Amino acid sequence: MGGELGSLVAAQLEAEPWVGALVGIDVDPPRRRLRTAEFHLLQPSQRERIVDVVTNFNPHVLINLSVWEPDARTGLTHARQFTADATTAIVGAAAECPALESMVVRSGIEVYGRARNTPTRPTELTPVDPTTEYGRMLANIERSAREVGKRVGIAVGKLRLAPVLGKHVPSPLGRLLRQPVVPFSLFADSPFAVVEDGDAARAFVAAAVNRLDEPLNIVAPGAITASQAIVRGKRIPMPLVGPEWAIARQLSHLAGAPIPEHVVELMHRGRLADGSRALELLGFQPRLTTPDVIDHLYAWESVVRVGRIREVA
Amino acid sequence: MAEILQFPRRAAGKAVTAANTVLTEPLRHWPAHSVDDYGRDPHLVQALSPLAHLRWNVSVGGTQHLPVKGGALLVCNTRRWALSNIFAAWALSEATDRPVRFVGRPDFVPIGPMLRRIGGLLARPDEVLGALRNHELVLVSCAMSNHSRHAGEVDHSLIGAAVVAGVPVFPVATMSSAMSRTARAEVGPQVRPRRKRKGPLAEVELAEQVQHHVQRMLDGFGGLQTGVAPLDWLAEG
Repeated sequence: MGGELGSLVAAQLEAEPWVGALVGIDVDPPRRRLRTAEFHLLQPSQRERIVDVVTNFNPHVLINLSVWEPDARTGLTHARQFTADATTAIVGAAAECPALESMVVRSGIEVYGRARNTPTRPTELTPVDPTTEYGRMLANIERSAREVGKRVGIAVGKLRLAPVLGKHVPSPLGRLLRQPVVPFSLFADSPFAVVEDGDAARAFVAAAVNRLDEPLNIVAPGAITASQAIVRGKRIPMPLVGPEWAIARQLSHLAGAPIPEHVVELMHRGRLADGSRALELLGFQPRLTTPDVIDHLYAWESVVRVGRIREVA
Repeated sequence: MAEILQFPRRAAGKAVTAANTVLTEPLRHWPAHSVDDYGRDPHLVQALSPLAHLRWNVSVGGTQHLPVKGGALLVCNTRRWALSNIFAAWALSEATDRPVRFVGRPDFVPIGPMLRRIGGLLARPDEVLGALRNHELVLVSCAMSNHSRHAGEVDHSLIGAAVVAGVPVFPVATMSSAMSRTARAEVGPQVRPRRKRKGPLAEVELAEQVQHHVQRMLDGFGGLQTGVAPLDWLAEG
């Protein structure tokens, strides 16, 4: 509930008439003003406390958004550790709640992997075969949630989000694309799709309302390649052919925008998914297309200047 | 009481901004395109169209059989090195004003991504099924043949995608010459299965039927027409 996506989901849930009480847990305080929600500031490693909070509240619906994308807020090692700890604590606590009817967990289209000859636009029926560490982290979350769902007999919805971009969402892809000089793969320049954070939050609410019980791709319509995104953003494109990617990654890291393995894979092999089933099952359709989300990414101000120094009474 | 602080702009920052503006100015007028859900770039296809016209002058027929909306699977014959599926997909796209995606792109750089940008899909049943469910026109090829008037076997697993998606299947007879620009792509009427089958026989039988339809259309095209009668007679064997 403290991250941008969590705060958005909480704010939208507060407005839902079917939501009675709302409790959230995160390592950061909420980014938005929440009127009725109760918030607990807890670290992923505080499993006992998390289990206490969840079991005492005994929810009907549980939404797990605790995913640390590598190089978004922390490096790969910590991201892996935090995600694993949070999944164990929250999904484990869910199994102890007698009133629980449904659980919705965050996953990503990285679970499909981009091995050679894998489908260009995988559907939910495509086997999970992650090829990056982030994809494996997400696959583990799905597996844990599925096992708990089977054991205690609850609906488990898994929302496989395309890379989430938004005004305040920490995203290695967004950070990379907003650099003044952006590398891209000259020979591949593969297409990818993204989703805006507001749309992703609406998908979670819709999944909770409908008691979703299967995996679902959440992807903004349309696609874009890295070079097209760079041109749209009026950035300087830096074409790369292969070995120099290692140097570009190091330089980008020094510039404050580390490029994790799954973003390199996105640049080389693309990342698309078929999101049409979300409309069938949830009646959900993203408001923004992928090119729109990219345009919004570049429309954000880097620094907001507030004028001269003055006294405020 | 509170104070709003503003940090002074740095001269270096100004210089960087100016340099960035100079470098990105040429991009200001560059068209900002995007690709569709499968990575096909309609603007690139349009830009390459004059090149395709240089190589092929395709006469297209039978497009009235194709649905105006909704997905359909098209099956064409292909001769070795003739790029039949590419020119047929391109010509049918122009004639129907709908993107026609061809199946059979490789998945390695640089050819795979390049063909994806002009509408190529992988030869996988799930890839074809996904496109058909999204109401796309998809063109698959018969097995490659050395003879321009011979339709090879049709991969029944790809036809199975059409059976599962419940979309119609159309034969497309293609003919082109290695020596001239003349080419032809003729769409036949929908192939309907002779019997209703519940199991995998449906796709196997439909694949055989489609192959026969394509072969019949190729036979109807007549023989080689080089403009030199003796050569045409020799080619007829």
